Amino acid sequence: MARQVDVAVIGAGPAGLAAAIAAKEYGAEKVLIIERAEQLGGLLPQCIHNGFGLLYFDEDMTGPEYEKTFIDKAADLGIEAQLETMVIDLDSKKEITAVSSKHGYMKFKPGAVVLAMGCREKARGALGIPGYRPAGILTAGTCQRYVNIEGYIPGDRYVILGSGDIGMIMARRLTLEGAKVQAVVEIMPWAGGLIRNEVQCLYDFGIPLLLEHTVTFIHGEEKIDGVTVSKVDADRHPIEGTERFYPCDCLLLSAGLIPENELSIKAGVELDGVTGGPVVDQNRQTSVPGLFAGGNVVQVHDLVDWVSWESELAGRAAARYADKGRLKAANMVKVVPGNNIKYVAPQFISGKEDVTLHMRVTEPGLKATVKVGDVMRKRYRTVRPSEMVIIEVKADKLKEAGLGEELVVDCDIKGSG
Amino acid sequence: MRKMPSVETEVLIIGGGVLGAATARELSKYKVDVTVVEKNTDVGWGITKANVGVVCQGRDTLEFRPEYHRSQLLWKSIPVMGPLCKELDVPFKNIGCHIMIRNLKQKEKLDKGAARTESLGLGTDKYCSYPELKEMEPYVSEEIVGSLYDHAIAIVHPVVYTQALMENATANGINLMLETEVTDIQAGHPMFTVQTDQGEIKARYIINAAGEWVDKIAAMVGADDFVLFPIKGYVGVLDRKCGDMASSLLALFPEEPGDMNIIVPTVEGNLLFGIQLQINRRHDRSTTEHMAAKALENARKIIPDISPKDVIKSFCGYLMFRNFEIGWHECEVAMSERAERFINMTIGYPGVSASPGAAMEVVDILKNDGLKLEPNPKFKPRRKGIPDFSELSDKQRQELIKKDPRYGHVVCRCETVTEGEIVEAIKRGATTLDGVKFRVRPGTGRCQGGFCGPRVTRILARELGIPETEITKKGGDSEHLEYKTKQILEEGEKDG
Repeated sequence: MARQVDVAVIGAGPAGLAAAIAAKEYGAEKVLIIERAEQLGGLLPQCIHNGFGLLYFDEDMTGPEYEKTFIDKAADLGIEAQLETMVIDLDSKKEITAVSSKHGYMKFKPGAVVLAMGCREKARGALGIPGYRPAGILTAGTCQRYVNIEGYIPGDRYVILGSGDIGMIMARRLTLEGAKVQAVVEIMPWAGGLIRNEVQCLYDFGIPLLLEHTVTFIHGEEKIDGVTVSKVDADRHPIEGTERFYPCDCLLLSAGLIPENELSIKAGVELDGVTGGPVVDQNRQTSVPGLFAGGNVVQVHDLVDWVSWESELAGRAAARYADKGRLKAANMVKVVPGNNIKYVAPQFISGKEDVTLHMRVTEPGLKATVKVGDVMRKRYRTVRPSEMVIIEVKADKLKEAGLGEELVVDCDIKGSG
Repeated sequence: MRKMPSVETEVLIIGGGVLGAATARELSKYKVDVTVVEKNTDVGWGITKANVGVVCQGRDTLEFRPEYHRSQLLWKSIPVMGPLCKELDVPFKNIGCHIMIRNLKQKEKLDKGAARTESLGLGTDKYCSYPELKEMEPYVSEEIVGSLYDHAIAIVHPVVYTQALMENATANGINLMLETEVTDIQAGHPMFTVQTDQGEIKARYIINAAGEWVDKIAAMVGADDFVLFPIKGYVGVLDRKCGDMASSLLALFPEEPGDMNIIVPTVEGNLLFGIQLQINRRHDRSTTEHMAAKALENARKIIPDISPKDVIKSFCGYLMFRNFEIGWHECEVAMSERAERFINMTIGYPGVSASPGAAMEVVDILKNDGLKLEPNPKFKPRRKGIPDFSELSDKQRQELIKKDPRYGHVVCRCETVTEGEIVEAIKRGATTLDGVKFRVRPGTGRCQGGFCGPRVTRILARELGIPETEITKKGGDSEHLEYKTKQILEEGEKDG
């Protein structure tokens, strides 16, 4: 027998917790969070560095501190959470199949579902690094878990491939543990993570960031004993003759995050080829009615604060949906990424309410102007792909402009840099 | 280093790969004292590991001429393989194979081959026009003109098959010694004296199934009257979500002899794509950007929808051919003409498919040499596989969790592997991360162990009763956690 709940949230990271709390506060009676790990909080318990909550709480917090406020609130509201429970199936009728040691094999029939599975890191295979297959290659996030949760350090001499935020944060963390981080190697001409991490984690610790370089060979049969690093040309192909050998006993990978949407695919949710997440409207409803999504499962955010924010939208809408069995239909306007815009989320807006657009640029530049159709324009001193551009658009402006079927967002840049 | 007391055995099998394991299992049917030595931490980790698992049916009459020894071994194996896998509870799946042509000129050659197969009484393969092929395999490229369909081709996981053979062999009394590398052999009467890095072994018969190093072992007793000719292959693994892009083995008709471009489904539901390389330097299992690009390009000649984004891993392996006088490859499963009581076993292609026949042949060779082989009255042919949670029905899952709640704890998300399966793999001999991976698959999916790695490490340490810092990826020096936190700092202070 399937158990009835009003809103089921899959994942108890920052997205899932915020969505569950919002759903409860917006009137959903029975809210259930299903989490595969042993504890609530997703990856935040292992993010022991600061920089969380600056937007959401106007306070500089660590990951566990940020998360605790949400965990406490969820507990106060009496939200039920099932831990060590894996959702193994989700269908388009919103039926959930899950298993756990404690409760065995379970089916749930929720009024609405919030997808909050977060994202995962690109593994070596996805990066296609040639060479041998020794021990000592792991993603930065897995290393972070070993160091900050399990209490182990993989090695004492590192090369980090990719300059994602977790990679740069681990460069600092491992340096503080007495290990030697020889270089962070980035194939692009710019860092993959936030400027503040580039400064605080690499520059302040004298760790070289090798832009336009990549790892072209992994050496060592049992345990890694080094990597070859080469410079790349404008097409990102290694340039012959630029190879340099770096001895190391560990290679960390921090070269991209992929929204974790295997369950969304099972449920028949339409995905955006660029974000890797579901196509959503401004309520964060997916193409399958009653299935909502928030946080990194939709788009990989720079800051957890926005993960919480986005998931609250999903949670609120899920509560409304669970109550009425549907959401008020609105003529949707498609938001289309134009010149130098990689993607915009949400992909659909009503055009009648305030909306916040999240987007990333394709190329970095100076003196940029982002144009949201004819509705509004906003100027930026610099834009770069690793820093999300976020624009709030007011309902009256949208109405005034009188939107058609599409709203194109462009970014013009005057200078490069 | 572990040292053992001196071991004496009637038959010593060198190598725990597919041939060693099949022979051990075959010999366990008899009352005879057999020891297997394997230098790795686990069985099936040599050249067996990189086999793509195709169980071929010998209908390719150019590769399998009737006069070839390997053809005879293969034909002996074909009727045995399916039932054997059933006995051992190893997934064995009939998938069929399309040999695909890209122009009508190739069709002549294809027809010739098909006629030859038929005239040899090996059955009839069906020619499929492009629309017929497309009906069966909707993702194949429009550039394919047609295909020859062989319905009998099957697949098996070579390492799982090898593990099962060895598990059953040891359950029936065979002595398996892992992490034991043979360093020297002295011939003698009536026993060989075999030196290993773990101590000395005396053996009356030696079966040399050392895979990649079969010639090196043979040379220790002067029985190396053959030259090995290694051929390197590259294999890429695609994400499970591409699993439905091919239901049968799809191979491009070779434009030149020795060309091999294939897409193979695995029993787990992934697709592999592979090419053969013109590289013959042994023991170099590294991949290069060039071969990865070439393999992907070729795979896309078969299925254009395959995207580089879907490649979750890649690896290289070898086929070891015996390069005999006429210049091409033939196998060797025979008593050496140069050393008494010394049997060489090397098949090259198709090692996995011909393994049951080769093992039976070795038993015959031993019998003919006068070794008394009486049936083992305690022989139990059946082995129960590790339950595969992801493949069970709802009801079976419920029952399994009720019996052992650890089957309700999913540790690997991508492949839906439970703690129950991991613990069972460890009970059956897995001592490393790869050992667990090759038995029950955690870490083989799209995240490649990102989520489950730390959890599998913890379960291994708990079950084996050793610290996590001693858990290795694949034995030897492959520790993946070198220090505890603060340890580097503390050691630094001590060193000043």
